[in-house]
Amino acid sequence: MEIFIYGFINSISLALIALGFALVYGISRIPNFAHGALYVVCGFITWSFVRSLELNYPLSIILAMISTGIIGGLIYLFILIRVRGMAISEIIASYAIGLAILEGLRWRGFKGMTYTLPTFKEGSLMLAGTPVDYHRLIVVGVGVCIVAFLWIFTHHTKVGLGLRAMAQDERAALMLGIDSDRMAVVAMGFGSMLAGLAAVLLLPLGNIVVEAGYNVLLLAIAVCIVGGLGSWVGAVMAAFLIGFAQILTVVYIGPHFQMVVALLAIILTLILRPSGLFGRQKELEERV
Amino acid sequence: MKRKPLLMVFALILGAALFFPLQSAFAEKPIVIGCPLSTAFVYGWDAQRAITLAVEEINGKGGVNVGGEKTPFKVEVIDTRDLEPGVPVSEALLVVEKLILEKNADFIMGGPVRSEAALAAMDLLSKYKEVSILTTGVLTPKYHARVAANYDKYKYCFRITGEAKWMVGGEIIPCLLEIGKEYGLNRLFIMIQDVAHARAGGGIIAKVMAKKGWHVIGQPEVYPTGSSDFSMGLLKARREKADVILIWMDMPQTSILLKQWYDMKIAALPFGSIIAAAEQPGFWKATEGKGEYCLANVVNAGNAPSNATPWTMKFVEAYKKRWGLEPEGYGTSSSYMAPYVLKEAIERAGSLDSEKVVAALEKTDMVGVYGRIRFDPKSHQVIPSLDPEKGAVGTIFQWQAGRRVVVFPKSIAMGKIKLPPWMRK
Repeated sequence: MEIFIYGFINSISLALIALGFALVYGISRIPNFAHGALYVVCGFITWSFVRSLELNYPLSIILAMISTGIIGGLIYLFILIRVRGMAISEIIASYAIGLAILEGLRWRGFKGMTYTLPTFKEGSLMLAGTPVDYHRLIVVGVGVCIVAFLWIFTHHTKVGLGLRAMAQDERAALMLGIDSDRMAVVAMGFGSMLAGLAAVLLLPLGNIVVEAGYNVLLLAIAVCIVGGLGSWVGAVMAAFLIGFAQILTVVYIGPHFQMVVALLAIILTLILRPSGLFGRQKELEERV
Repeated sequence: MKRKPLLMVFALILGAALFFPLQSAFAEKPIVIGCPLSTAFVYGWDAQRAITLAVEEINGKGGVNVGGEKTPFKVEVIDTRDLEPGVPVSEALLVVEKLILEKNADFIMGGPVRSEAALAAMDLLSKYKEVSILTTGVLTPKYHARVAANYDKYKYCFRITGEAKWMVGGEIIPCLLEIGKEYGLNRLFIMIQDVAHARAGGGIIAKVMAKKGWHVIGQPEVYPTGSSDFSMGLLKARREKADVILIWMDMPQTSILLKQWYDMKIAALPFGSIIAAAEQPGFWKATEGKGEYCLANVVNAGNAPSNATPWTMKFVEAYKKRWGLEPEGYGTSSSYMAPYVLKEAIERAGSLDSEKVVAALEKTDMVGVYGRIRFDPKSHQVIPSLDPEKGAVGTIFQWQAGRRVVVFPKSIAMGKIKLPPWMRK
């Protein structure tokens, strides 16, 4: 039961971490390597609002997520738009931005374990004989809601349908009057907000450290590669696959090998099914 | 008439050219202390702050008397990043070499912080005949064993802070046995970080505690550097009915471990042989008090308030005044003492010559912040003791109501060990 409960929690956490990355790539085809940095930035912004400005916690979370969304949009508008369509340049540019943000934070003194956020609800309960704290249960609840919201948003709203149109065929979407750059800004902003949401949900369980940015990026990439680049449904499925595999590894092999799972998943996917579980890049498989 | 301004400009340039070289020639050349430290982590920045504080105090009193001439210390710090996950040892070695060759460091002090990096740096120090005093990190007994085994080559390497062998045998195990005796606890669960000193330390504790009659649950759980989820390990401790969870990790994520321990209400006492997060004064606020009852070993006295020697609280207050908080990690008081020990050695040697300073350091005998400071003449390891009058004394404290209360050794204890309410039978 412990494996099931904590495997489920771990999977939802991974899905939350990866959704933003999957969404941006799925719509604008931009691999946002600044994803991890935006996650950490949102954590520090929330911390600043809560601890320094002493704002109300829920308000701080909303403001921090909006700020992160704006930062993401601005990154696209001022930098990524210039290299759009050049895959290698997009990777280099977004990774460089992420690196600059993370190392800049470190340089400005955001280091150590003292940057923490309060949990949403203190205490824990016994779930089939396994202790689980309320905050983790909230993470699971919000995670499930977000997946449902994303589905409704992309299937039943004008902006969502526009984003899907872009993801399916950018040229056809352009012919139908959808502004691809505007949609890409929306996608980048929305993806960044999702990174921010993951941060405000998961960081209260630990502390805000710059190094988390690199780990989050690695996990997001692993989930998206296994799920299939561009498919957020695939990302959710892959999150469950990797999430449970990690917990099983910790229990039966040892915690030391937990990170290896994500890396091994990347390698195996690239060897056996390069376009991932739900990827649409069939040309990759054809080449293989 | 037109020539006059031109001549004035020439005169000014000539004057400046003559004046400035003369000025620099007359300026006293400071003694450069090169500090290779992992400054993004507590064991790096606390050492930097402590060394800076000591140097400011020494310079404020006129500096170091080198053969009758007063000379100030100058601190040069370069980030080795050796405590960060994935950073290769070679980075730290480049930093040490840069300090020696580019910054013209007369002495190396502080790190490298990670044991692996410090061991690798020994050959470099030997090559340049550079006297080094390790003050933080580096707990591996191999360091001083190498000096003892090949004295002529490694005689430039000193360590003024504690090392794992004494720490385990002289402090941690006696403290665990004391807890066991006092509260009837004897089931030990070990969680360690995947680094050399933790693996070695955790392994030794498991063996010794088993011999002492404790039940050690399985093999030590090894976590990679940067791990941020310890729930499965804690659930195992709960399932196996552990009484004490021994933690040996120097990463900041250890605060997550303790938060999870509190949230799950695991009925086992967390004992940090090395637990970076819990050592720091900011830990209480960072965990919102969830780390209460956690025990933490801070290697040397003075890293938490106590009355080990008359200098201990003076240091704690001076550090607090200069940096706005109490001494932070296990390398703080030792890093503070190193410039004082070096100053005294240089003054006795009357020179900056490495051979003479090595000989003088070997004769060090002073009462510092954490007791009597002497180096073993063969291994250059600071001589430890449970009595501050006999040697360098360690410290194990427990978080109690927002304060770090020293509970071991008895000679300097400020309070008694307490169990969390959900553990009391």
